[in-house]
Amino acid sequence: MFDRNFLKNFHISFIWSNCLNSFSVLKAVVSICILTTSFVFSQECALTLTGKVFDVEDNLPLEAAVIEVLGSSTTTVSDATGVFQLKNQCKGKITLKISHLNCEPVFREIDLFKSSSFNFQLKHRIESLDEVIVSKLRVHELSATSKVHSLSELEKDRYSSKGLAGALEQISGVSVLSTGNSIGKPIIHGMFGSRVGVVYDGVMLENQQWGQDHAPNVDLNTFENIRLIKGSGALKYGTTPGGVVILESIHPKRVDSLYGKTILGGMYNGRGYSAISHWVKSYKSGAYVKFQGTFKKNGDFTASNYNLTNTGNKENNLSISLGKNGLQHQWKAFFSYFDTDIAILKSAHIGNVKDLLRAIESDVPLVIEPLKNDIDYPKQANNHYTANLEYTNTKVAKGELHLKYSWQRNNRKEFDIRRGELKDTPSLDMELNTHNLLSNYEWNTGLGNFDSGVLFQLQDNYSSPDTEIRRLIPDYLKTKLGGYFTAVFNNTKDFIFEFGARYEYHNNVVQKFYKDSRWDLKNYEAAFRKYVIREEKSQKLVKRTLEFNTFSFNAGIRHSISPTYSVNFNYSHTQRAPNIAEMFSDGLHHSLASIEYGNPFLEKETTHKAVIDFDKRTGDFQFTLTPFVSIGNNNYIIIEPTGFESTIRGAFPVWEYTAISALFVGADLDFSYAFNANMQFRNSTSWVEATNTKTDLPLVNIPPLTINNQLQFSLPNWKSFFVLLNSKNVFRQNRYPNNNFTESVIEDGKIVSKLVDISTPPNGYHDLGLELNWGPYPLRTTKVSVSLILDNVLDASYRNYLNRLRFYSDEIGRNISLQVKLYH
Amino acid sequence: MSKNIFLKTVLFSFILFLASCDDKDEPVTINEEESLSLVTLTVTNEANNSSETYRFEVEGHDHGDETNTGSQDSHDVHEEIELEPNSSYLFEIRFYNDEDPTNIEDITLEVIEEKDEHHVFYELTDGAEITITSGPGDTIDSNSNPLNLITRWTTTAAGVADVEVYLIHEPTSKTGGTRDDFGGATDVEIEFEAHVE
Repeated sequence: MFDRNFLKNFHISFIWSNCLNSFSVLKAVVSICILTTSFVFSQECALTLTGKVFDVEDNLPLEAAVIEVLGSSTTTVSDATGVFQLKNQCKGKITLKISHLNCEPVFREIDLFKSSSFNFQLKHRIESLDEVIVSKLRVHELSATSKVHSLSELEKDRYSSKGLAGALEQISGVSVLSTGNSIGKPIIHGMFGSRVGVVYDGVMLENQQWGQDHAPNVDLNTFENIRLIKGSGALKYGTTPGGVVILESIHPKRVDSLYGKTILGGMYNGRGYSAISHWVKSYKSGAYVKFQGTFKKNGDFTASNYNLTNTGNKENNLSISLGKNGLQHQWKAFFSYFDTDIAILKSAHIGNVKDLLRAIESDVPLVIEPLKNDIDYPKQANNHYTANLEYTNTKVAKGELHLKYSWQRNNRKEFDIRRGELKDTPSLDMELNTHNLLSNYEWNTGLGNFDSGVLFQLQDNYSSPDTEIRRLIPDYLKTKLGGYFTAVFNNTKDFIFEFGARYEYHNNVVQKFYKDSRWDLKNYEAAFRKYVIREEKSQKLVKRTLEFNTFSFNAGIRHSISPTYSVNFNYSHTQRAPNIAEMFSDGLHHSLASIEYGNPFLEKETTHKAVIDFDKRTGDFQFTLTPFVSIGNNNYIIIEPTGFESTIRGAFPVWEYTAISALFVGADLDFSYAFNANMQFRNSTSWVEATNTKTDLPLVNIPPLTINNQLQFSLPNWKSFFVLLNSKNVFRQNRYPNNNFTESVIEDGKIVSKLVDISTPPNGYHDLGLELNWGPYPLRTTKVSVSLILDNVLDASYRNYLNRLRFYSDEIGRNISLQVKLYH
Repeated sequence: MSKNIFLKTVLFSFILFLASCDDKDEPVTINEEESLSLVTLTVTNEANNSSETYRFEVEGHDHGDETNTGSQDSHDVHEEIELEPNSSYLFEIRFYNDEDPTNIEDITLEVIEEKDEHHVFYELTDGAEITITSGPGDTIDSNSNPLNLITRWTTTAAGVADVEVYLIHEPTSKTGGTRDDFGGATDVEIEFEAHVE
């Protein structure tokens, strides 16, 4: 197979070897980047060709790759930094064969007319023939021109009992919007909720992600790989302008084997314990069974000065995969169950604005009780079932055809403190069923890699009327049809180009009850009278079909300035249909004593985002600098206070969704420096500013400047031990909108008007962490490693601007956890 | 072959699903059973047993909620309760859900049933000399604290006081002189002016 390049002056070609036909040659998926030429010789045979060989998976340099000039006896080997040099080369076409142990050789034809430098990327992970197919499935390249961040096993295990959002927060540019200490959702570049996607096992997680207090209902321990792209670099999965989090399983090898890993954890603060176990049984035939279970439980936590009453949680998760990886056909069945109960800080359950005011004015929570291990009301109880069936065929005209059916059932119950017979009845009980049918085809040509697919989704949301509380979110049936195409052009010398486009059609059939008072106030009569299908006393049932067509695209370019430096540029134009909450939510938020209304006139939201990465990935000093800008023009959806509503409990502030123009600017910096083999320093800094450009006021809940410094050191003669010292500085958010209001209270016999300050952010804080790691050490047939993790070592008392319950209590105090990992 | 089986399985399950969800019923109307929408205060003059009942509900109450779009809550619409100086009155407070006018629910019964978790507190501004104590027939909780569902108001000198009435759910304390002392979540907050003249 031979393909001509489209850049005339370089004439590079690939020779692809077909791994299915040849035993000696394994699969190759190659992308190239190029170094600019630094000097030019005019002699015929005095040209120098330098190159660098990378592992395409992790971008690390490959040592001991063999480089042969075919048709000559010239051979060389790459050094520890992956660099090689071929001197005294003649002008003209030469063909290079670059091979490495366990890698498939790459053949490159180069038209040499001056001394040049090239990068070569080898697919490294292949260990046996049987794995040819498997490794293809193992790690998918998410984006060729966006920086893909992945969590190491250590980073993932550190948060194995704490949840996904916390684990992701280790990546610069990622923060957590939390509700108390157990509910967290990731914020990427200042965006969260429906603007951040969580993709697990190739399917977008559907779990009422619009809610600020709705954590992703997924267990990070089920998946071996956790990767993240800031921005909508992965249109394959959906259109989320903030970013996308990808959780993936690795397909087992085609060998007869039984292996696993167990993490046992204990926690001092919260008196928690957890057990996470993962087992794989694989067969030489390619069949395999995977099992994973998580159990964790915590009681009430403590802040440095007081108990955080009713803050425990428990979680039980289970997943089973069955599959077979044949050479041509691969199939997999996946089932998972996620179940969590999370207590909500008791003092955050308030009745009205005066209660909120009292909470804000008090330095300590208004309810402090002795520590308990049980979960009381208020609480959230969520469960999430997933069943996937997928099939891949790898021999369809040398591409891969994927078919997948996925079903998700999410149930969310929120229990408040209620009276009488309804005491044990949830105030919110929603069931979301989502069916996805996906098919895509991936193929390679000499030009690059292509991927095209279609999606059909049906989603049904049902709110149980047994709550005897009016629905926060109406019942709806959503049908989504979509298609995407992505292309990576990677055979140009210095550059990789990427392009993606996605179209979606959304059809929402919504059945919503409107209160007559609201109906009259907003004058819905004119617009919606024709949709009224039933009238009750004081309520109207409206059935509407809302359709949205969204078109998103992105374009990226990766330029390798040298073998060690590269620059990425990505632009995306993302269109997002407003979610059901933004259009129709209707209800009281207890923790903020506010009434929230959707806006049925919202239009689709278009976000433009440009991200640049300056990336140096090798050597003692490495860095990535990522400046970005996002613009939402006239249709960026936010919620803001608009007035008050009188109830028998007093007047409540009303928040309504509205569309504005928004501008996000920011930058993330990661750098690391290895002083020597035993000591490494790492920094990650995140900065973002977001402004409503219509009013020139800042947006709410934007992460403040965060600087994370980490020092890792080990002892030269004690290699299985290292210490990590982590210092996290979160500055005060000085850019915030003023959403304060006043409330009259009786004080000293007089009625006085008091400011309910829900806007002013708390001071910045410094969180010091320490982690000690031993191992892994062999122990009979297994290996064992032990980690001792100390969070908030100084037992600092502080409040976090991004915690929605910050009015009620401090963050948790010092915590000591012990983790024992067993590799079976 | 295996592909065909797979496809058939997927298609079959999908058709099943489509069939199952296509005929979704209309959502059921929810009437909020526990919501408090009406508070009554029956004021009885102990001297002559004459009584008057005052109703508190949201202004313009259409058995839903009323909305104003001002930037602040309004405290200017006040019910006035006329009292005579140097007199003694019994105030009986009751809570109802009248969302469905044909089936008015008396929430006071639930409050009495969960007497340990409820408390009524009257908070007064200066301006009138009124002493409030638990009245005869008041509910007493298991810790011997009166709930203040029935209170005796003893007036002395003439004057006007603003009164805030709270029904407190799960109070942290049942004794105190200001709303702050009781903690808990406010389930009802109404206000009126007590005119002693």
